[in-house]
Amino acid sequence: MYIVRPVEISDIAALESLAAVASLGVHTLPKTRATITRAVERSLASFATPVMIPSEESYMFVLESTLDRSIAGTAAISANAGSNGTYFAFRNDVMQQVSRDLNISHNVHALTLCSELTSHSQLSGFFVRGWCNGSQEAALLSRARLLFAAVMPQRFGDRFFVALAGVTDSHAQSPFWEALGRKFFQMDFMEAERLIEGARNRTLIVELMPHYPVYVPLLPGDAQAVMGQIHPEGELPFRLLTEEGFEPDQYIDIFDGGPILQAHKHALRSFSASELCRVVSKTAPGNDAQKKTCLIGTARDERFRAMTAECVIHAPAGSVELSPQVMRALQVVTGDTVLCVKIQD
Amino acid sequence: MLVVRAVNESDLEGMLELAGQVGSGMTTLKPDRKMLGQRLEIACASFAEQIVRTQRDYVFVMEDTSSGRLAGICAIKSAVGLEEPFYNYRIGTLVHSSRELGVFSQMETLYLSNDLTGTTELCSLFLHPDYRGGTNGKLLSKSRLLFMAQFPHLFNAKVIAEMRGFQTPDGTSPFYESLGRHFFKMDFNHVDDLTSLGKKSFIAELMPRYPLYVDYLPVEAQEVIGRVHVATAPARRLLEQEGMYYEGYVDIFDAGPVLQARVSELRALRESTLAIIEPAVTASAETATAVADPVLVANTVLREFRSIVVPAPPTPQPTRIALTASECELLACGAGDPVRTMTLNPRKNS
Repeated sequence: MYIVRPVEISDIAALESLAAVASLGVHTLPKTRATITRAVERSLASFATPVMIPSEESYMFVLESTLDRSIAGTAAISANAGSNGTYFAFRNDVMQQVSRDLNISHNVHALTLCSELTSHSQLSGFFVRGWCNGSQEAALLSRARLLFAAVMPQRFGDRFFVALAGVTDSHAQSPFWEALGRKFFQMDFMEAERLIEGARNRTLIVELMPHYPVYVPLLPGDAQAVMGQIHPEGELPFRLLTEEGFEPDQYIDIFDGGPILQAHKHALRSFSASELCRVVSKTAPGNDAQKKTCLIGTARDERFRAMTAECVIHAPAGSVELSPQVMRALQVVTGDTVLCVKIQD
Repeated sequence: MLVVRAVNESDLEGMLELAGQVGSGMTTLKPDRKMLGQRLEIACASFAEQIVRTQRDYVFVMEDTSSGRLAGICAIKSAVGLEEPFYNYRIGTLVHSSRELGVFSQMETLYLSNDLTGTTELCSLFLHPDYRGGTNGKLLSKSRLLFMAQFPHLFNAKVIAEMRGFQTPDGTSPFYESLGRHFFKMDFNHVDDLTSLGKKSFIAELMPRYPLYVDYLPVEAQEVIGRVHVATAPARRLLEQEGMYYEGYVDIFDAGPVLQARVSELRALRESTLAIIEPAVTASAETATAVADPVLVANTVLREFRSIVVPAPPTPQPTRIALTASECELLACGAGDPVRTMTLNPRKNS
């Protein structure tokens, strides 16, 4: 069994070995010991802070085996994408051009540097070990963050987004960066990502990136072709997130043109299809027919735990039957409240 | 003999024939009888001062008096952009700099502008291929400048000339193919025709409204910004010698340069002088030796403006000029009449 729990100081070494196998394209994943340590400390402080209005908090989670306590993945969620800055993205605008005289009407796409994602909450730093790909555990890790947000809505904004890695070639060159960012930064894509540490909320972005909309038809064909396209490694998170209710197309990343998926919380299953239930211990066997696979998250501020489990929900009573193993793993006792989301088949 | 003169009602056929020789890229001169007819009407009314100054369009033709054939045409529009918006790209600079990263990018940009609204425009210059050579091109183009020197009050303080932009030998404009085509979705010549028909509202409707970074354009388009058509290079050089400069404005379709100047700084205004005609005693012997530095001479009559090139006088006098009977006839002047003169070529040391 696997559980998702908040990161702890003791996880730093495990996270470092995870980051070593991750592609550089997942720009939101901290990769050096220093940045990992900083992220972990920030997460600990965030969980410990009582929050009324979302601000600079960033919560980091790990996927842990209940068997040997090994770490198989990590994922994070920030309360506010801008943190103490402005989060920049390209909005993909459509300009309708109509000439009545000539009886011409067509659409021209233009990319506008925008800051409107700043106050959204951001999912980031998702990475699982290769063997997890496509498994229930990967889905658990990705969605546990949103379960936490659903239990603690005061800690987050009303809108969520996630930026997925864009397309790069075998030499780690991004056609989108070559056509756009390079002209302003005068350096390689990876070098820029390294210098900026994957951030999209730095002042230097507004200093360097184009102030005026970029007309898409004027970009080279290969740059246009990768706009909103995902890096192969992003396919799993993309599928998980679209199943959850996220939608692409409106925004893309300013560096590699990768898709930015976003949604209002009401469109997300963790919010709209979840129920708060009181835990009751599973007593008698025999009601297996009513068993459902659910994502279960604890509804408490500290020691958040989430896992996937078979359980029976008694909707009228507002209770959920959990097995003793599951209750142990979640660290809950009878009478505690948990949030349950049925997993779609 | 060639004379450049104000156009008159009988010139329509000749103008049509000339316009038929022009080809694409020259929006103001199309072989369209109705359009040229209207233009001629406005031109005649302009010389007759029957319409307000800002609407005037002074069209001049170069006539071969031996055959009556029209050898060339040129014009001065008193003011552009007052009825239809007049668009250009202004080449600007945006600096993107980050002290933190040690990056400093100086980016050229194209801004859609109406900055040249209201300026006087030199336009529609065309010399028939049969007459290219010698001093003909200079006579045709510079006569207009002498006209402006004689009647400066008719014009805006600033004068411009749009130069035809670069085209490849097969007639395509690399700039248009890289930029305009994405927004207009039609061929360059079609766009060109539409603008000459005065259907210009589509420019505002379809053109990109935000500044463009030049670096986004393909290299072949970047390279032709501010470059003239091969056939226009002599015309550009000629105007530059007369005091006009490329100041970073280009045509929105083919990126041809706009030359501009303050009217008061044109050589014609600084150097031309009024002189009184006196009969030449002898003509033939001296003309042969003196062709090196010919003089442009024009009469001072607005409605019947005429201008010719004459050989330099052996002993130049500041206020008098000796003209032969045939020269006087070309200018429709006689002894004692005033004429405006300037050397055809700028002095070497100026």
